[in-house]
Amino acid sequence: MKMRDRLFGFLFQAESDSWLAILRIGLGLQIICYALSLRHDWNALYAGEANVFISRDLTEAILRIENPLVPQIGFFVTLGKQTGLSEQATLSILWMLLFCAGCTLLLGFFSRSSAVLAWLLHLCAAKSGDFFAYGLDNLMTIGLFYLAIAPLPDRYALDVKLWKSAMANPARLGFHRRVLQVHLCVIYFFSGLTKCLGDGWWNGASIWRALTRPPFNIIPLELLAAGRMVLPLAGMAVCLIETGYPVFIWLRKTRSLWLISVVAMHMAIGLSMGLLLFSLIMVILNVAAFGADGFALPRRVSRWFVGVSTRKTPQQSAIFRAA
Amino acid sequence: MRRRYLYLGWFLFHFALVLGIAAQQTFWILAQGYTALPRSFEQHWRKAADFLTIGLGQDLSLSNPVRKSLTAYLHGAGIEGGYGFFAPNVPSSYKLVFELHYPDGRVDYDLPHVSGTSTGLRLTSLLDRIGRAQYEPLREVMLKMLAYSVWQEHPGITTVRTVFGYVDVPTLSEVEEGKKETYNFLYAYDFTFGNPTAAPARK
Repeated sequence: MKMRDRLFGFLFQAESDSWLAILRIGLGLQIICYALSLRHDWNALYAGEANVFISRDLTEAILRIENPLVPQIGFFVTLGKQTGLSEQATLSILWMLLFCAGCTLLLGFFSRSSAVLAWLLHLCAAKSGDFFAYGLDNLMTIGLFYLAIAPLPDRYALDVKLWKSAMANPARLGFHRRVLQVHLCVIYFFSGLTKCLGDGWWNGASIWRALTRPPFNIIPLELLAAGRMVLPLAGMAVCLIETGYPVFIWLRKTRSLWLISVVAMHMAIGLSMGLLLFSLIMVILNVAAFGADGFALPRRVSRWFVGVSTRKTPQQSAIFRAA
Repeated sequence: MRRRYLYLGWFLFHFALVLGIAAQQTFWILAQGYTALPRSFEQHWRKAADFLTIGLGQDLSLSNPVRKSLTAYLHGAGIEGGYGFFAPNVPSSYKLVFELHYPDGRVDYDLPHVSGTSTGLRLTSLLDRIGRAQYEPLREVMLKMLAYSVWQEHPGITTVRTVFGYVDVPTLSEVEEGKKETYNFLYAYDFTFGNPTAAPARK
């Protein structure tokens, strides 16, 4: 088989839209949680003047020097001022819009517009608050970007029930899934590689520091000290899971093990360090990319877990046969 | 078929950027000497990082349309940064304390306030940025803004001294010896907001 055919076969493998449904619902939930977690501080965080941290004006001025094309909250504030809205009113409207975009994504109502709106508003918030952004914002932008360009709606979306939207081409669905899968492999490989190069991840010192470093010091020191034997093993496990991800997640025999391991790792990070939203986005991206086939469990069990995800609608079956 | 080539073209472009940025950030970490690799390799890592910086168009002038378009795309896709979370080692966390000086000579202490845990994590991220800031005037402006929000909450104060430092967490063996975490001083700045200019910085 020609190289080109093999490449096209890899990139455009026909897929169902179950993974896209997981990504849409998951990111909808993520946006709702993200918006709710910032609801008390939203206006204070993104205000130009009466700001609780760093003025949005400073962040946006630096961003404009780098690139004036990158979306910012300041664009909307300027627009609001021209229509007579105060900065605080505009910020409240933006929060409401973000929250609503999360809800409509969850339901699959105007899926494409909701995905684009959620991506744009979150990007504005992440860039205007760049000084206090962290890994969560980057990964949410990645997920929302892929969702916004994916062939929405999926068959579970309200849009399909209401407007009888046509199903996407399975080859195109497969392409977009591949993009997400390959990106996750790059993320884990480089994250794992840089960890492997630090000696702290092999002797447990980095795990200890990560769990005792404020504000992630949720577990009492005494309890951590009691489990000292586990720390080096946990550090090595993190290195192994992350560096091995680009290989073992593709192999049929190890896929379920690796997916369960990586999901467990993120759940442990979320619970032991309080990084719940970060863990949630990682679990969503992983399950959408590699878990939409029901973790390669026996068919009866996987059907029970993911409902009808392995079944295709008659319309989709026809498209599959054609593809 | 033509559409598939278009998709393939975008895929190659997108992942060239993703891999380029991730590799550049990794080489940068290696060049800083933060890893267990021999220090003699550092110049090679630096060259590799510089090579990728050029390859990604990040050495072009800020007004260059190619650089502008690339940067906009990188930010829009969320791929402008690397993925070395807590790697190669976990850094210390920073702490900020405000010393509030009243006209009668009284001194109070305060910490930055946030309403929720989620905002607390963002505050940590902000303190990390301030701690890592190489450009001293930017660090001072950021601390001044934080001091200003405290000054607004305490209108009677004459001067806000922002004391910035890092928290040294004891190692496992130090904990067993009974050692507690220590706060290490890095910088302090005095800000007087009645006067438009800040008092000279004290380091």
